[in-house]
Amino acid sequence: MDNKNIKVLVVDDEADFRRLMTFWLDSKGYSVIVASDGKSAIQLVKEKNPHVVFMDLKMPVMNGIETIKRIRRFDKEIPIIIISAHVGDPEGKEAIPYRISGVFYKGKDFEEGLPLLESALRTHKKLKK
Amino acid sequence: MSSIAIIYIVTAIVSIAIALLLFNLTKLSTRARIVADDERKKQEYLSSGILSNESMRHAISEEINEIVDSQPSRQEAIKKISDVFSRELEKKINLNAQELSKKYETIIKGEKQNEEIAWKKYKRVLSDKEKTEAVIRSIAEGLVVVDAQGKVIMMNPAAERLLGVSKKDKVGKALLENLKEEQLISLVKGAEDKEEREIELISQRDETKKVLRASSAVIENENGQTIGMVSVLSDITKQKELDQLKNSFVANVSHELRTPLVAIDKSLSLILNKTTGEISPTQEEFLSIAQRNLKRLNLLINDLLDLSKLEAGKMEFKLQLSSIEKIIDECIEGLNTWIKTKSLVLEKKIQGTLPEVNVDSNRIIQVLNNLIGNAIKFTPNNGNITVEANFESKKGEIEICVQDTGAGIPKENLPKIFDKFFQASERTPTDISGTGIGLSIAKEIVELHGGRIWAESEKGQGAKFVFTLPLKSG
Repeated sequence: MDNKNIKVLVVDDEADFRRLMTFWLDSKGYSVIVASDGKSAIQLVKEKNPHVVFMDLKMPVMNGIETIKRIRRFDKEIPIIIISAHVGDPEGKEAIPYRISGVFYKGKDFEEGLPLLESALRTHKKLKK
Repeated sequence: MSSIAIIYIVTAIVSIAIALLLFNLTKLSTRARIVADDERKKQEYLSSGILSNESMRHAISEEINEIVDSQPSRQEAIKKISDVFSRELEKKINLNAQELSKKYETIIKGEKQNEEIAWKKYKRVLSDKEKTEAVIRSIAEGLVVVDAQGKVIMMNPAAERLLGVSKKDKVGKALLENLKEEQLISLVKGAEDKEEREIELISQRDETKKVLRASSAVIENENGQTIGMVSVLSDITKQKELDQLKNSFVANVSHELRTPLVAIDKSLSLILNKTTGEISPTQEEFLSIAQRNLKRLNLLINDLLDLSKLEAGKMEFKLQLSSIEKIIDECIEGLNTWIKTKSLVLEKKIQGTLPEVNVDSNRIIQVLNNLIGNAIKFTPNNGNITVEANFESKKGEIEICVQDTGAGIPKENLPKIFDKFFQASERTPTDISGTGIGLSIAKEIVELHGGRIWAESEKGQGAKFVFTLPLKSG
């Protein structure tokens, strides 16, 4: 499996975090596209068709939940992993009805996010078949 | 006739005359006595005011006697006797009148006194009423009294202000007339005692939103029937705003503090993992120092955020039936490396099976981490730590102890150790020093679960920290 064909969309309003996550995903061989807000995220999903989305919940103007809601209107299949700042964040629960593939906690090591990413991709590939 | 015979006849006549005279004299004296008696009685009844029928009869009969004695003609007799009667009657009436008059005066005096007393009491009540009204007028809280039909009986100026109405529009009318705010219906609806409700008002006058707390109580008469309701209204708008600020502050601060830490930690990880490329040993060493201290900072910030959440009353627990043994195991596992570094022996003692408890397991782990962490901190190398858990069926709680063989705590410090920022003076220099808030947070968490926490120790004898968790959630 050539990861370079797999497009990962990272949506987060913090530039530093975007940079770090991109670097890490890149080091694992994935193709990364980024969005800094909900509006451009929705645009990129429509245009670039990523295989998986990492969605930060706390964003100004349009927060993560709202963005997921809107994406789900036109794309019910795309796997979305939410990024939560802290374990026990209540916002994470609100996302559940919109079908998410998991929660990635910023506080944890990037490496712990790997299995999450891989299982999300597997569901996508399954659906594709 | 001989002269002797004449003497005998004369003597006889004289004797008879004398006898008659004597008899009359006695009669006179008796009558005089009777008259005197009567006079006395008359005087008596005149002066004593007691109109006994006896004395009156005496007086009348005496006077009639006199009239009869004087042998009056029929007409004279009738007139004189009538006079006697009318005189006596008048006397009696006068005496009665006098007595009644006296009694009347006494009564009037009594009445006047009562009236004065009543007046004085009335004035006092009036003054009390004025004082009460002054209080009601000036209190900052609004006071609204409605009758059983919901019509306003009384409204103080503060209530007028809070509700944005004027009293003259409201008194006698139902509270709801001319009032568009529907939430006010809750003020009169239902007759629940001492109910506290929050009412949101959008004032028509200045278009500001107000939140009022209405504390209502039912007014009952002595038969227990509801005759009305009194509501105390307080303006809690500022309080609510402050509460909301607190909420958003805690959430914001939390986020703002953690975000930079995450970025720093991740940057360091990527370098230390060699994802960015090779690094020299010195670079590795110093970057490790940076990361280690970052973790310290993280713990400190978490502690501070927990503390501020507790202070703001914003800490929420997710209660779930959990196994204490599992919680203990998870905790020990997390601290294993540290324990091994100090070559400490940690022993776990659990008696039998423990029932599950309704707790927020993450928070209880936090408590245990603190207690066992402290044990590790203050026990010198090669020491012992024991973690015990028992089910106290009589008390319906689980008791958990952490015992160490460290320096112990001096008796005078025991009551203070759970205070915020209190730190024992002796600290092992190589260990990570604490913030002094760990134990106070542990105490809050345990107590909010309905449990108790305490320490038993003596200087040089090690320390034992115990906390309980009730089976029924607190």
